[in-house]
Amino acid sequence: MTESSSSKLLNGGARHRPANGAKAARNGSVKSRCLFQQQKYLRPRGKVRPARVRSCENLLYNNHVARNGGMYKKPFVEYFEETPLLVAVLTYMGYGILTIFGYLRDFLRDWKIEKCHVAREREEQKDFVPLYQDFENFYTRNLYMRIRDNWNRPICSVPGAKMDLVERVTHDYNWTFEHTGKVIKDVINMGSYNYLGFAENTGACAAAAAEATQRYGAGVNSTRREMGNLDKHEELEVLVARFLGVEASMAFGMGFATNSMNIPALTGKGCLILSDELNHASLVLGARLSGSAIRVFKHNNMQSLEKLLRDAIVHGQPRTHRPWKKILILVEGIYSMEGSIVRLPEVIALKKKYKAYLYLDEAHSIGALGPGGKGVVDYFGLDPRDVDIMMGTFTKSFGAAGGYIGGKKELVDYLRTHSHSAVYATSMSPPVAQQIIASMKCIMGEDGTNLGRERLQQLSENTTYFRRRLHEMGFIIYGNEDSPVVPMMLYMPAKIGAFGREMLKRNIGTVVVGFPATPIIESRARFCISAAHTREMLDTCNVGYLLWSCFQLLGLNICVFLKPLCCLPFSLMIL
Amino acid sequence: MALSDAWKRLSWIYYQYLLVTALYMLEPWERTIFNSLVVSVAGMAVYTGYVFMPQHIMAILYYFEVIQ
Repeated sequence: MTESSSSKLLNGGARHRPANGAKAARNGSVKSRCLFQQQKYLRPRGKVRPARVRSCENLLYNNHVARNGGMYKKPFVEYFEETPLLVAVLTYMGYGILTIFGYLRDFLRDWKIEKCHVAREREEQKDFVPLYQDFENFYTRNLYMRIRDNWNRPICSVPGAKMDLVERVTHDYNWTFEHTGKVIKDVINMGSYNYLGFAENTGACAAAAAEATQRYGAGVNSTRREMGNLDKHEELEVLVARFLGVEASMAFGMGFATNSMNIPALTGKGCLILSDELNHASLVLGARLSGSAIRVFKHNNMQSLEKLLRDAIVHGQPRTHRPWKKILILVEGIYSMEGSIVRLPEVIALKKKYKAYLYLDEAHSIGALGPGGKGVVDYFGLDPRDVDIMMGTFTKSFGAAGGYIGGKKELVDYLRTHSHSAVYATSMSPPVAQQIIASMKCIMGEDGTNLGRERLQQLSENTTYFRRRLHEMGFIIYGNEDSPVVPMMLYMPAKIGAFGREMLKRNIGTVVVGFPATPIIESRARFCISAAHTREMLDTCNVGYLLWSCFQLLGLNICVFLKPLCCLPFSLMIL
Repeated sequence: MALSDAWKRLSWIYYQYLLVTALYMLEPWERTIFNSLVVSVAGMAVYTGYVFMPQHIMAILYYFEVIQ
């Protein structure tokens, strides 16, 4: 079905006008052969009158509902609300104050008035090029250290739906920590990538992994090429290939290393990599290590990608104008900082038209999207053979560690010999491989129970419910409606620390993210919904007393359309 | 009763001020420095207003020809 719709586009019989009625721009004959025309997103004129609480459907006119030529079977709704102006100004002001005080503290440290806890150059190296003067180090010393207790919290139980944290105190403002000896029990875990709830120490998967340890031990003591190729790995690879619907696959011990060590094996000098603006560090590192030319297109923006493709094909390599040896498009299934899903039907249509290769990194989407849990390809109902290289990790939905690459048999055979990871890195540990095998069989339904299907349904119900409730409460949420990664915007630097601490006081463990993982004013709290969360846990997390009082406490930013909530009386104040 | 409610509300407003200006993340002595700067600037503005307000009001009334 997809073949016919994309071939209709290739034959030029496409409808250029999308269903939401925006007019196509006509700037000369070259543009008119583009697959995707420019669309103007008009912001609503005048002030939005917050007369009464509107339903979520009314938010759609400010967001992109893509129905390009009937490629999408269900509406693709993503929200990326713009930062309100007042909030942006106040955030900059907050950062300005922190910077001034940062300079003051650096001055005091330099003049030895205050004791210096950070690394600094030795006396003999004072005339060398300074190591710690750039903005990253300044930021780490003066801003990150002040709220450092929100990260690296030691967990002393299974990171399932609830976990136990070790309690820490600091007496010198986060430079050093001490453990009090107590344990904070039953903290609701909203930060682990535990989408299907397989992070557990009881049940069939854990029992199978324990049995594998009994049989094979814990370590492999060799690389894949030399002596580390177990029959478990072969079994795993056949299973992964069957799960994804590809010809063959290869599994690696570390997800980050899968990207960074395999992209150099696939492209080299004379090739072009088109990567999305917000790609993960592993993809960026792999692209840079390969030595290819890298061009970046705007996040999830198909017009930008098409323009880059056309320029690349028309002009070729920079100075010689020779054609590129190959063009590789790097995209991710779900982008974990935004919660957005890639526009895969359009990317595949573009790739076919311009004869490029597609590398799809499904780190977060495998197991979490799609009716069968088979990732973003399943979610859109496309053919897995259209994607040349399907990569993913086992860390998120399968409760294990490692990554895989799937594709045609020739590709995987080539990678077995030419990948750095296969030659130099230790292969996957046997209990981990067994955990993946057991959980994958569970998801596919082959272990004889209904557990996989129940968990997939529970995850998508939880996602819809959580997102809907947060929207109703008026927070600014980014991302696609169906993605289990929910970033909630905080913006101001002090709210990052305050939010993390207040949620921990209320027994909810969250992940807050600031610069440099996000743009400097767009700091956020990221919730990862899990199938192991029950409705009561999600309720305590948002509806109750807890997040609501946090909201009141912190005065968090509310969606422009739901202003009336801020007029509620202060009766729920907690201090 | 009303006093404790008012006190709670004032505390909440002070907490919001701390969050928005990022003073929440600073150590107590840094907060003292910043608050004293803010108080002194505000005090100077109030004092200037007190000293010059009669002259400003006369000038406005003169401009609108209420007084000659």
